Amino acid sequence: MMIESLFDYFNQGYVIQSLVDTGSMILFFIGFFGLLTQRHIIKIFMSISVMEIAVFLFFIGNIFDVKFTAPILGDGHDAFVSMNDPIPHAMILTAIVIGMAVFALGVSFAIEYYKLTGKTNINDISEMGER
Amino acid sequence: MTGLIVMFTFIAVILVAFMSIVQRSLPDAIILFMGVGLGAVVLFFVFQAPDVALTEAVIGAGISALIFLMALKHLGEER
Amino acid sequence: MNFKRDIPSRTYSGFALSALFILTIFNILLESGVSKTQRAGDALLALSGKEGVANAVTSVVVYFRGFDTLGEIAVLFIAALGIGLMLHGDRRTEHEESNYILQKASKLLFPMIMLFGVYVMVYGHLSPGGGFQGGVIIASGILLLLISDGSFEVPHAVISVLETFAGISYVLIGLIGLLVLDKFLGNFLPNDVAQMGRLFSGGIIPLVYIVVGIKVGSEMSMIVQNLIQRSDDD
Repeated sequence: MMIESLFDYFNQGYVIQSLVDTGSMILFFIGFFGLLTQRHIIKIFMSISVMEIAVFLFFIGNIFDVKFTAPILGDGHDAFVSMNDPIPHAMILTAIVIGMAVFALGVSFAIEYYKLTGKTNINDISEMGER
Repeated sequence: MTGLIVMFTFIAVILVAFMSIVQRSLPDAIILFMGVGLGAVVLFFVFQAPDVALTEAVIGAGISALIFLMALKHLGEER
Repeated sequence: MNFKRDIPSRTYSGFALSALFILTIFNILLESGVSKTQRAGDALLALSGKEGVANAVTSVVVYFRGFDTLGEIAVLFIAALGIGLMLHGDRRTEHEESNYILQKASKLLFPMIMLFGVYVMVYGHLSPGGGFQGGVIIASGILLLLISDGSFEVPHAVISVLETFAGISYVLIGLIGLLVLDKFLGNFLPNDVAQMGRLFSGGIIPLVYIVVGIKVGSEMSMIVQNLIQRSDDD
């Protein structure tokens, strides 16, 4: 009886939504912390990628309710009734692919810069403070 | 039941992400970053979004981390 | 002035994380009175049933928002162009011998991965999948072959012909839709609702997604090859 009420409490709409909100915000700020404190340039790119994953989780988690199902027909579903919203899915699909492409371009920039000067520490990359 | 799965998976993803950022050796950080991607795949599956889960599994945990590892080989840091 | 970045101490991050944990509890308590607003996807779900495609996300990506997919392919093309320009230096001259297990196992796994990638690409309108996923799966199969076999090179002429053909045919399909139906990327092939669930259903939607998959797969293969086969010593 206790376990049932615990499950039913956690399946309510507002509890799942608030869990998703704070969880993805914490993940975003962990990525932000990595962006500010890390020195190796590949670690900085990885922190930006973690921030992107947090944004995707925020999007998909905020439209979720327990009574919705996946927006695909088959296995007994015959009509598009009480299904999940397909528009944010399409937007996040595009965003994942573009994030990967931009990230690959940034990594190739880092490789070329290393071949040119041999520096990966972001303290040494800034050429304004050199004497 | 889904609420409890969401909470525990979020806690796991946050811990793995924090461990991945404060790691010192870079190949370990990349493997833990793959763990973040896989946790996100589990969460997308629980949120009833199979297309997004498949895309994140293939790209986030498949190609993105491999691009990292290939870049590390050229930067001369695979210890 | 000193432009170096300072590293903040760990106590600041500890304070921040504990504050966010307290925010979780506040959020649960405060959100108990908020009701959900209307969703934008209800009208689109009702429309998607008329196109005869079983996967609603595919019909949104390819048909209802098909122009955005064209822009996304353009962004991917620019990224692949940038990587190819920067890293297209010298090829690796000496080939390292990879592990014995890797060689034998990759010969077994590579046809399975390619078959799975083609399946995910072609059945994109009936089950979760589509062009992007299938293309990236094919590129990861080629990555496996590049790692295990030292003397394998992706044939440059074939890949560039495939990529240009796929890119041109996307725009051509849109223009034919403009000619026939007065709508760019209009659905001019037969799409009955009675055919929903079969392979040849949904008009131009599986065709466009296969074209997108070919383009994405070939671009990712070129990106992967540029990142691997660059020589290490200048």
